[in-house]
Amino acid sequence: MREDEIDTDQLFRAFATLRMRDVHQRRANRLRNRCHAVLESQRRTAAGTGVLRDVSPRRLIGPAVAGLWCIVYVAEIIRRAAEVYGF
Amino acid sequence: MTKMDLSDDPSVVARLRNGDTAAFDHVYDAYRARVFAFLLRMSRNRTVAEDLLDETWLRLVRHARSLKPDTRLGPWLFTVARNLYWTHRRALLVQEAAVPELIGLWPSSVTWPSPFDLAVAGELERRVEAALSTLSPQQREVLLLVAYEELTPGDAAAVCGISPEAFRQRLSRARTSLAEKLDLRPTTAQATRDLAHEGR
Repeated sequence: MREDEIDTDQLFRAFATLRMRDVHQRRANRLRNRCHAVLESQRRTAAGTGVLRDVSPRRLIGPAVAGLWCIVYVAEIIRRAAEVYGF
Repeated sequence: MTKMDLSDDPSVVARLRNGDTAAFDHVYDAYRARVFAFLLRMSRNRTVAEDLLDETWLRLVRHARSLKPDTRLGPWLFTVARNLYWTHRRALLVQEAAVPELIGLWPSSVTWPSPFDLAVAGELERRVEAALSTLSPQQREVLLLVAYEELTPGDAAAVCGISPEAFRQRLSRARTSLAEKLDLRPTTAQATRDLAHEGR
């Protein structure tokens, strides 16, 4: 069948009598909320990835060295305390 | 052909790709009932149609970021809904083949249209719904996509995953079957055209 035949076909026009069907409003709203939650979670994830991507590696060197120094310092304190108490 | 023009604006797709919930609402309000009606008439089971509808929309939002900018959401949604229906149908056939003796023990599924649906429908609507429900799913889907959803034959062929020529032939056969069910004889010109198409 060609497109112009479809447009003028009497039998196909009978389909206009078929009513639109829909889910119940409560179910429709529940699905809408689920979809919103997925979209918002993806947006948050994308925003988080974007923030990390924007940070220059040079700006991370200082905090990384300071953090490492703190870990070594705390580990040494614990080691000496263990020595004092005979562990 | 006007129904498919709704929400096919590329800016809606761009906003959806950015996770804009207002853009989603726009598409959801335009297409929810239409996709549900399609699934309901295909599956003839309200519970199944509701589950497949949920999955169709969840797929849209999960894949929103990877949508191409020129995606046309109408055909995209009908393609997903149609594929989900056929996956469900295949799974059902496998189950029925594997455990035929158990099927009779399950409570019967509520088929659609129910006697109540038919009772409240108008005379012509009742006849069309009843005739549609007796066609094969392949014939039902081509008729619904073109005659009810008003997709172009090219778009509908893409939704069904077949060539436009194969689609035209299937549509022609579906139309003939529906006319027979409705007890309408095709006009001589229509019959001649159908025969010409079938002969190619």
